Amino acid sequence: MQLTSLGLVRGLIGYFAGLVIGMATVVIFRLVLGMPAWDEEAVWVGGIIFAIIGFVLAIGAMSDWLKWTRGIETPMHHGPPADKPAWTRYFAVDYNHKVIGIQYGVTGLLLLIIGGSLALVFRAELADSGISFLQAGTYNTFLSMHGWVALAAILLGVGGMANYLVPLMIGAEDMAFPRLNAFAYWINVPAIITLIISMLYGWDSGWTAYPPLSLRGPVGYQMVFFAIFTIGLSSILGSLNLIVTMLMMRPKGMTLFRMPIFCWAILATSLIQLTATQLIGQAFLMLSFERTLGMPFFNPLYNAAGENIGGQPLLFQHLFWFYSHPAVYIFVLPGLGIISELLPVFARKPLFGYRWIALSSLAIALVGFLVWGHHMFTSGYGEYLRVIFMISTLLVAVPTGVKFFSWLGTLWGGRLSFQTPMLFTLGAISVFLIGGLSGPILATTATDLFLHDTYFVVGHFHATIFGGFVFPFFAAIYYWYPKMTGRMYNETLGKLHFWLMTPGFWLMSLAQMTAGTMGMRRRIADYDPALGVEPVHLLVTIAGFVIAFSILLMIYNLFTSAEIGAIAGNNPWRSRSPEWQIPSPVPEHSYARPISVVGEPYDYGLAGSQYIAMSGAGDD
Amino acid sequence: MAAVTTSAQAAAVHHDAHAGHDNYAAQLRMNRLGLWLFFISEAFLFGGLLATRFYLWGDTRPELDQEIGLIVTSVLLISSVSMRLAETAMERGNRKAFSFFILLTALFGLIFLGGVMIFEWGLFPAIYEGHLTPWGDKYGAVVFAMTGMHALHVVSGIVFIFIVWNLARKGSFSKERHWGVESCAIYWHYVDVVWIFFYPALYLIGTAAHVTH
Amino acid sequence: MFNRDGYGIVVLIGIILAILTIIEYFMGLYHVGATLLMLVAALKAILVIYFFMHVSRLWTAEGEH
Repeated sequence: MQLTSLGLVRGLIGYFAGLVIGMATVVIFRLVLGMPAWDEEAVWVGGIIFAIIGFVLAIGAMSDWLKWTRGIETPMHHGPPADKPAWTRYFAVDYNHKVIGIQYGVTGLLLLIIGGSLALVFRAELADSGISFLQAGTYNTFLSMHGWVALAAILLGVGGMANYLVPLMIGAEDMAFPRLNAFAYWINVPAIITLIISMLYGWDSGWTAYPPLSLRGPVGYQMVFFAIFTIGLSSILGSLNLIVTMLMMRPKGMTLFRMPIFCWAILATSLIQLTATQLIGQAFLMLSFERTLGMPFFNPLYNAAGENIGGQPLLFQHLFWFYSHPAVYIFVLPGLGIISELLPVFARKPLFGYRWIALSSLAIALVGFLVWGHHMFTSGYGEYLRVIFMISTLLVAVPTGVKFFSWLGTLWGGRLSFQTPMLFTLGAISVFLIGGLSGPILATTATDLFLHDTYFVVGHFHATIFGGFVFPFFAAIYYWYPKMTGRMYNETLGKLHFWLMTPGFWLMSLAQMTAGTMGMRRRIADYDPALGVEPVHLLVTIAGFVIAFSILLMIYNLFTSAEIGAIAGNNPWRSRSPEWQIPSPVPEHSYARPISVVGEPYDYGLAGSQYIAMSGAGDD
Repeated sequence: MAAVTTSAQAAAVHHDAHAGHDNYAAQLRMNRLGLWLFFISEAFLFGGLLATRFYLWGDTRPELDQEIGLIVTSVLLISSVSMRLAETAMERGNRKAFSFFILLTALFGLIFLGGVMIFEWGLFPAIYEGHLTPWGDKYGAVVFAMTGMHALHVVSGIVFIFIVWNLARKGSFSKERHWGVESCAIYWHYVDVVWIFFYPALYLIGTAAHVTH
Repeated sequence: MFNRDGYGIVVLIGIILAILTIIEYFMGLYHVGATLLMLVAALKAILVIYFFMHVSRLWTAEGEH
């Protein structure tokens, strides 16, 4: 097999060819206009744009569409490529949602490891006061990169769960637009490469990239802007696809309120992703244009009379948080959906308050659009806004509380069994509780004015993200692993993973919050030992390494069990969900016959209840 | 991980059941919803640009040539009318009228684009001396951002029109099945709708500001 | 003449849009303020979305077009 027959290799060649062509184009363009040929900023921007397009064209994510524009029909190809080994389909454009879901999930996991490793490096630096091995600039780059790499990991992880599970859960053959689905995945890859290249130059503002700092820093910013813009585009297209799939492709009898609850979470998530993402794309594009062309959107510009005829830095914060706050709900809603999905299976009881959970996801999504200003209490915007944003933010606690009480109601009196997925689900609830309870403290203006920009925020944020995404994501991986591979993971290693990670995380989270209340600022490379935070920092660092080690255990477990794990069978968890009624691993065409829904999804333990029926061949 | 095994036998059963008429109608409904969701998404982008305009300019606006604004706006509106006529022609199976109207639409689109580039952007000082630059002040920056993002959509719309026109020439669409034409048409109208909001925001709202540098 | 998918209604809507645009133009000259102008713009947008983009095809399960 030739190396270049692998899609990913072709894409990489396209990426670097595009980079060179784009840079050359800018240089020639500048020469034609009579400007000096070399301008680091402009040349890189041209290079990056062409490189991303080059990757997508070379890997062939658009070739079907380009053929359509010339009137050539392209029938959908099913199954692995005919002339290559089956594994190559994971490294090339493939239209099957199960392949794309695994591509998303594995890429997300890989990014999670990269992002986590970056954190370990600067956590080691923070373990004691004084600068020991990371210089301030490098520290800033690592810290900022940790932010966006981890967020990209989450977006991809969410994409993985949604793409793999949603069509299976609603009994659909595939997503509504399989080609768009593949395209939406593959534009992530050049974006991630671009993001990583940004480390060559570095950037130092933290993930928020507030101007004016982000307008003055090194060229690394440009790569971040375009990388995030592209990942955002992927989010938009992916969520569009998911919404259409869920609204149009449900089987007979599956009303919206009979969908598996995870689908509701994804529906709410997709609505945010579809709309809010545009704002961060716009904000980062504006930053890029301000840097490249000097368009004054955010930097003030004073004329001779002393009037500001330029932009305003606060505008960026509004645009940025209009996405980036709802983005937090993009990160956690799918995870909360996983919790609601798994609890009834392991408690053998109906899900408590199905409709309330479904609607609370939508409510969180909608309220989430009205709260962005709580990130800006100290920014100097109009003081009356503080009250408005405080109230709207505290409102989020209501639908979130609905979820918590529903989970408790589901667990109450259930016949619980504690396999690894269930452990991670319970761990997620406990960690999310830490994150949730520290939320109102930050939402209240009076306390936030003291805690803003401290490690308390770091602790709160990581608790919500671990409770809302990382723990449920791991639960989902363990839970659906038999469905994906046909084999069972190693239960002992899984439990060990849990019992290392969960106490490790509790410790890390509470220690971070403690450091914050003691006066530790976030995002700085060094601190004054007189604050007394040194032992707390050491604890955070140790806990961080414990968590990292436990995740390595999981990776080892997943790799080895794919070969030597016990054969899992169709339905090891005795779930009622449609995807467990078909063989493991799922065949190329998931459902040999269309399914229909005849009952409620979560009536576990109710005699005679039935959720789906596999119809006969003629009964379409 | 060889997670997805091949099983070809299922393919035949499932696919033939859905083939033909039902399949096209179902796909059409999904395409429509998908395109409209894309519009909703884009509305947030253009809404963000409008928000930027109101945040930075408030109750002022740049000095722009009012007649030019009215003319380019009218041209774009007329192009929407001709686009709708083209679609109606296709719905009635009148290919000649379709070709005429859709090319007319592209022509109007090009005139609009020319108006923007010559008069709003002042790219050709020999014809018209523009006074705004993207880097000059907040007025130039926002005008260029809004019209630039809109022009990008106009350009893609024109490309779309030529693709559809070419496909129709080759006989791709029929009276009953012409999603390509329909999507092209409603995309074009959407670009028009965006301009419907941009026109007052750029030209009409607020008092013209005299900026001294 | 004015059936929903005819040529006539298209031209009629075009004329209404043109009139509204000219009204807008004069509203701008006399500084009537952002709200009213945006309302007229919204009216125009609704006309385009309803008659030109036939948004109702999203929920009417009509056949192939």
